[in-house]
Amino acid sequence: MAANAADVTSRARSSEVLLKVEDVELRFGGVRALRGVSFEVRRGEIFSIIGPNGAGKSSMLNCINGFYHPTSGTITYKGQPRKAMRPYVTASQGVARTFQNIALFKGMSTLDNIMTGRHLKTKATLLENAFWFGRAKREEMEHRKFCEEIIDFLNLQHVRKTAVGTLPYGLQKRVELGRALAAEPELLLLDEPMAGMNLEEKQDMARFILDVNDEFGMTICLIEHDMGVVMDLSDSIVVLDHGEMIGQGTPEEVSNDPKVIEAYLGVQEEGEA
Amino acid sequence: MIYRESGQFKKTYEADQAILPLRTDQIFMVGVLLVAFLVIPMVASNYVMNALLLPFLIYALAAIGLNLLVGYCGQISLGTGGFMAVGAFAAWNLATRTELPMPVIFLLAGLITAGTGVLFGLPALRIKGFYLAVTTLAAQFFLIWLLQRPWFNNYSPTGVISAPTVDMFGWTVDSVTDRYYLALIILVIMALIAKNIVRSSTGRKWMAIRDMDVAAEIIGIRPMATKLKAFAVSSFFIGIAGVLWGFLYLGQLEAEAFNIYVSFDVLFMIIIGGLGSILGSIIGAAFVVLVPIFLNVVPSAIGLPLGTAMISYVEIFIFGVLIIFFLIVEPHGIARLWSIVKQKLRLWPFPY
Ligand SMILES: Nc1ncnc2c1ncn2[C@@H]1O[C@H](COP(=O)(O)OP(=O)(O)OP(=O)(O)O)[C@@H](O)[C@H]1O
Ligand SMILES: [Mg+2]
Repeated sequence: MAANAADVTSRARSSEVLLKVEDVELRFGGVRALRGVSFEVRRGEIFSIIGPNGAGKSSMLNCINGFYHPTSGTITYKGQPRKAMRPYVTASQGVARTFQNIALFKGMSTLDNIMTGRHLKTKATLLENAFWFGRAKREEMEHRKFCEEIIDFLNLQHVRKTAVGTLPYGLQKRVELGRALAAEPELLLLDEPMAGMNLEEKQDMARFILDVNDEFGMTICLIEHDMGVVMDLSDSIVVLDHGEMIGQGTPEEVSNDPKVIEAYLGVQEEGEA
Repeated sequence: MIYRESGQFKKTYEADQAILPLRTDQIFMVGVLLVAFLVIPMVASNYVMNALLLPFLIYALAAIGLNLLVGYCGQISLGTGGFMAVGAFAAWNLATRTELPMPVIFLLAGLITAGTGVLFGLPALRIKGFYLAVTTLAAQFFLIWLLQRPWFNNYSPTGVISAPTVDMFGWTVDSVTDRYYLALIILVIMALIAKNIVRSSTGRKWMAIRDMDVAAEIIGIRPMATKLKAFAVSSFFIGIAGVLWGFLYLGQLEAEAFNIYVSFDVLFMIIIGGLGSILGSIIGAAFVVLVPIFLNVVPSAIGLPLGTAMISYVEIFIFGVLIIFFLIVEPHGIARLWSIVKQKLRLWPFPY
């Protein structure tokens, strides 16, 4: 994980816009999941999307990585406007993600899941693999080394060879993060990485996210319901409600925005009371 | 293989990723190969070789092929018999109509079957599970029908044609011992190739598609290319098995010999032996070949001979029960049961 020296400066936000979302609309029949959403994510920042359930947050991530295609509007990534493209193309451009409802390869071990995340970096052909010569063996060792670093980083050593389907929820979330990191993405999309975790697990996960951002300069776009976490981690935030963008800015700006408090924070406090 | 895994620490990733990381497993495998190559040819009768060992070796190869597709890539196929027939008839026609050397014919027959597999795998890009099973079932019947057209047996009046003598790099594979050796060598080499593939990035891609194709696509795996590759490789293995079945075991070719029952047998082998396990494919093949013989020999040895009809009922019953058991309780088959036993033995006699 060679980090660019310039990126290492703590939580540096460069002025380069990595991802630009303009006026994105997404419809499922009559449901308008996104209504004219626009925002910018700058390279190196931690960007959060928040909003009540059904606000369209996951849909937004799905549009960014090509799983859904916006009905209208444009998404510009690294200066290139994006046409409708398959998720594997987006992945090859350096976008990795995790899912709200964990999407791991359940029959495979932790190590194999993370190794699979690295597959875009493998060049060995089927024949090389079949006879275990040339790049097949060499790459396997290189990737193994890299993945072991991720395993150490995420403290997954003890479950390295365990089938992930049998792991507890919190660990699965971590393996999924590991798989995304293995691709060395430029943009990491995390859909509720801390959902269903206890306090300690949440703190661990927050630490991992900060470290990834600090040490490797990875740009992170995350969805999270825990306001404390969001306010602590984020450089900037966008607030969605019923598919509409109702607020945007730094954590302070957003938490003081009356519209946001009314639509979201208020609702959540009621919900928790 | 009662041994302890503990105390064997791997010092390099290379050692850890070897096919058999444990020394004890390595020794065991060498032992098995020695027995297969040296002891069996000395002690086994011609009858045992012909009726038991040859079909076992060839079935094992077909089972490995099918397991690559079903167990590793999660695509279902009921067309194994049809694809074996494609391999056998491709090889026969190449041998009859060209002057190519036998190793080349084997290879080409495998490649032709791979191509056929890709063709019939195309629907898998759109459909899954039950519907794919029905499509491959249709492939089975279509291929057998197609290969019964007179052109494929060079207008033989009976529709039955005899296989040419196999000559491998100057070695005339003639006696049953020769044929046993050739089948064994090919199985060993191809099992090794299969093992290499499944432990490599190709194998991980297949398993990713099997476990969750949406997530696989999101980390950059092309579902189409990956599935078709699985169909191709699987069919290549099955095609070679078909050549061996026709040339080494049957000696005579007839499309009907590769009917739907062959497809089911091979499918049973991988379900019983273990989906997603190369070793399991081999164990499953041994099991399916041995059970009928066991039923023939054991009851009469203890003075309760079963009639032929009875044997086939009992056989069907046993397979039925086992398949239901493995599908519901242990989809990873005997191979998995074995590794559980190993796990337990590792701690024995102190379970905690
Ligand atoms: N594939 C789909 N087909 C139809 N409707 C969809 C689909 N995906 C999302 N929606 C709808 O779009 C709206 C936004 O859903 P989305 O999952 O993006 O919300 P969210 O903000 O992620 O909510 P949550 O906090 O519950 O995860 C919802 O009304 C949902 O029903
Ligand atoms: Mg969501």
